[in-house]
Amino acid sequence: MIVSKIRQCVHIAAISNRHNNLTVVEKLGRTTIFSPEGKHFEYAMEAISHAGTVLGVLAKDGVVLAAEKKVTGKLLDLSGAKEGGYGGSGEKIFLLNSNVIGGVAGLTADANSLINYARSAAQQHLLAYNEDIPVELLAQRLCDMKQSYTQYGGLRPFGASLLYAGYDQQYQFQLYHSDPSGNYSGWKATCIGANNGTAQSLLKQEYKDDIEVKAAISLVLKTMSKTMDSTTLGSEKLEFAVITLDPETKLPKAKIYRPDEIDELLQAEGLGKKEEDDAMKS
Amino acid sequence: MSIMEYNGGSVIAMVGKDCVAIASDLRLGNQALGISSNFQKIFPVTDRIYLGLPGLATDVTTLREVFRFRVNMYTIKEEREIEPETFAHLVSSTLYERRFGPYFIEPVMAGLSKVATGGFKPFIAATDLIGCLNFAKDFVVAGTASSKLYGAAEGLWEPDLEPEQLFETISQTMLNAVDRDAYSGWGVVVHVIEKDKITTRTLKGRMD
Repeated sequence: MIVSKIRQCVHIAAISNRHNNLTVVEKLGRTTIFSPEGKHFEYAMEAISHAGTVLGVLAKDGVVLAAEKKVTGKLLDLSGAKEGGYGGSGEKIFLLNSNVIGGVAGLTADANSLINYARSAAQQHLLAYNEDIPVELLAQRLCDMKQSYTQYGGLRPFGASLLYAGYDQQYQFQLYHSDPSGNYSGWKATCIGANNGTAQSLLKQEYKDDIEVKAAISLVLKTMSKTMDSTTLGSEKLEFAVITLDPETKLPKAKIYRPDEIDELLQAEGLGKKEEDDAMKS
Repeated sequence: MSIMEYNGGSVIAMVGKDCVAIASDLRLGNQALGISSNFQKIFPVTDRIYLGLPGLATDVTTLREVFRFRVNMYTIKEEREIEPETFAHLVSSTLYERRFGPYFIEPVMAGLSKVATGGFKPFIAATDLIGCLNFAKDFVVAGTASSKLYGAAEGLWEPDLEPEQLFETISQTMLNAVDRDAYSGWGVVVHVIEKDKITTRTLKGRMD
């Protein structure tokens, strides 16, 4: 009886106070009731649209990922990123398996949990089948879980979108995107996070089929430099990764760039800090 | 008839001067019937750790995959390779998880661990089938020929053997011990791990 009364309350609240109904629903821990507007993921999507941009481009012989770092500052301890590890500063781009790299946008804590899940799922597949997990299957595994939070009550959905850049025997190089609702789709080039509209229209103009990794790297960096707020690109604001095939072993080789390698790459592309910029500061 | 002797097989690891060696026989049997003379029981875990898994053959395969899973997860999370001491505890805890329905394997591991000064220190260890660790300073043995391996190793091993001498010692220990065991033999494989290289040699043995 009590339960049905609460339900009634929610119902009445939803009808009588439209713009406030999500709050009422939230208080009762019922995020999974359909709201009249069908806008379940407003909050989750909101979290992502403010997150640092993550951009991916699929090339013929590889996939390129780049991400804008939001957590910066001169007091931030980045010593871990400089030495050791597999590269990267571990804010937005991660190694998910030997054949897949992931880029995340949204709530960092939620993303970390998803990354952990993805790594586990990839190893579970290796244990069961003695082969690396296909890229789409990995995206599916995560989406199955993300979807479950839209259907079963009590908990909020993950506030994170992911890009998966990977390689498998069947479909070669692939790029996937998944969102908090558990929808996923494959892309030639895509972007998540802040300014994703600008980036996507830029990519639409510039992308050519049969693009090679070298050109894809330039395209990614060029698009990044136009969409990011800051005027000059640098390793303190950027994460970068490429997955290609090792020419000798023919196995996928994921490379997440270290800060100094990113600066080197930016210099080579003519997008890095100019010498006079430093001179001006001092 | 013990399940530990169902397929046969033995492994030994020895410490040398700035090096370690690990060796196993190559036999796979069905009790007294020989099935294969090329059944590998030793697997690389990292560039500097090798793991030997003597015991029930089905569990050899399973545990090899389980350890690959766990070491991969460690490597990707920690962003570095696992150290031999850490790996030994990983082996131990993995086996103890099955305390009341164990894998029928007695793992032996050999590796070089990093020291703070930048060099490497030899490391060997073995556990029983439920993961009780044995860190030895000289050698560890396991498998159906373990009692014979103890005897041969006690007689032949001495401290601070150079890589070549260590290879000779472990090879003679192995060849002579497995000849006294009906369930081990049919060839021997020896890995010698040094700081900058790993040498793997396959030895011929008696085929009876």
